[in-house]
Amino acid sequence: MKIVDTRGLTCPAPLIKTRQGLTEAAPGEDVQVVIDNPVSLSNVKRYLADNKLDFTVKEEGGLSIVTVGRGDQTTLAANETEYCTTEPTSPSTGKRVTVVAVTSDKMGDGDDTLGTKLMISFFRTMVMLEPAPDSVVFYNAGVKLAMDDSPVLDHIRELIEKGTGIYLCSTCINHFGIKDRLPVGSFSDMYQILNILKDADHIIRP
Amino acid sequence: MAFNLLTTVETGGCSSKIPPGQLEALLKDLPLPVDPKILVDIATHDDAGVYRLTDELALVFTTDFFPPMVSDGYDFGLIAATNSISDVYAMGGTPLLALNIMMFPSATIPLEVYSDIIRGGYDKAREAGVSIIGGHSIDDYPPKYGLAVIGTVHPDRVITNAGVREGDKLILTKPVGAGIILAGHRLNMTGAGQTDGARKMMMRLNNDGARLMQNYGVRGATDITGFGLAGHALKMARASGVTIRLTLDRVPLIEGTYGLAQQGCIPGAAFRNLEYTEAETGFREGLDYNLRMIAHDAQTSGGLLMAIAPDRAAGLLQELHAAGHPEASVIGEAVKREKEVLVLG
Repeated sequence: MKIVDTRGLTCPAPLIKTRQGLTEAAPGEDVQVVIDNPVSLSNVKRYLADNKLDFTVKEEGGLSIVTVGRGDQTTLAANETEYCTTEPTSPSTGKRVTVVAVTSDKMGDGDDTLGTKLMISFFRTMVMLEPAPDSVVFYNAGVKLAMDDSPVLDHIRELIEKGTGIYLCSTCINHFGIKDRLPVGSFSDMYQILNILKDADHIIRP
Repeated sequence: MAFNLLTTVETGGCSSKIPPGQLEALLKDLPLPVDPKILVDIATHDDAGVYRLTDELALVFTTDFFPPMVSDGYDFGLIAATNSISDVYAMGGTPLLALNIMMFPSATIPLEVYSDIIRGGYDKAREAGVSIIGGHSIDDYPPKYGLAVIGTVHPDRVITNAGVREGDKLILTKPVGAGIILAGHRLNMTGAGQTDGARKMMMRLNNDGARLMQNYGVRGATDITGFGLAGHALKMARASGVTIRLTLDRVPLIEGTYGLAQQGCIPGAAFRNLEYTEAETGFREGLDYNLRMIAHDAQTSGGLLMAIAPDRAAGLLQELHAAGHPEASVIGEAVKREKEVLVLG
């Protein structure tokens, strides 16, 4: 049993401590959170319920004791493959996580015309991969490949249909000033991009 | 050592608002003044009141004040003034005059801080072309500051939260996440410079947004403050008789927001706002939890959420980017009223 004591802390510190406790606890280990004020209790309960974690609440001498029974749950966020994978393999299927990192709108160095051709070919072939990659992350000039006039836009759409997550670096989008020309993809900050790369078993860089 | 205003408060800025549901219950039985010259009153929960003087001229009238959300007095003054004036911009108006509203504990905080706050207010008012011509101070703890602002608008060109039409695209001009970043800052979860994005966002006047809305014939808009993006979008959808669909992946975030939310740094105001919206809101199956909470994060001096005819959205967006709103994005659309008034996807 892991104890998280939030007495004396005000919102959102108790929630942060709870979250931290859940991340640090061993798989299956229960977490007990001690809370001394009703607002924090209400927010922590809501947070746990929304994240589909089972818990019980006991009142004891003016304190609330929230016990989170974790059973076989190992992750917290609903969208576990994207944000919260703590295991080296995807917990739902046990398969390896493949991420494609697209860092340029061309494939390889040397000749730009050839590089563009190769990149188109890369995307056309990637659509045929079985299973499709879990995520494709676009950064630096790579984000241009998600633009409305991109020669690989249709392939990106096919990937989305196959369940591949498309992540575009928002700093790069702002840098190139192409925000209003991106019909597909999620805008992501460095934290999210780094997490996706960190949780990958394979990273493919064209 | 400069006095740290954050030592006086537990929650600051627009996080300190009375919960929206409670406020509506408190106000609902008030007799509304009846006068045909009143073009906008609190019946539609708009950003400011509007009063027609002549066929060519209407007054826009609003006030806003709150406790500090940053440590420095001058910055607090800048942000509070930006936020107060924003309500005039949200109605499509041009602000003219303002009065200071100040609550300040003269016995417990060095008086220089008072001057710093007021100086911030004056500097921001000057930038907006607003003259501060008076005000009122009360001895009170913790300090609070803001303005009552008056501006003008053509009576036929008032932009309200009831003016959204089916088919309109929704553009948000500033990134969200200020409440989360400031809470993280208070808990020392942010490194040096990591609050810069939030401070910059809160100090940015919505003047260019207001000007462009008039140029593009926008009729429906609101500014995003204490009730969060979702809360204000819901109010707008309700007042306009439409359903608003937002794609949360597309909402611009202040750098660092997602990571903090992921660690559980979700201020209480976001939970209050969620309680307010959820009865009328549909959440897409599998919607990322952190994004959902970020959409409910209370903003201080947030951006404009404007409804624009779809064929004009790209042009407006481009001009917003050029006017110094690089994060402005199309984040959703208005459709015929469905069962749910707001849909977050």
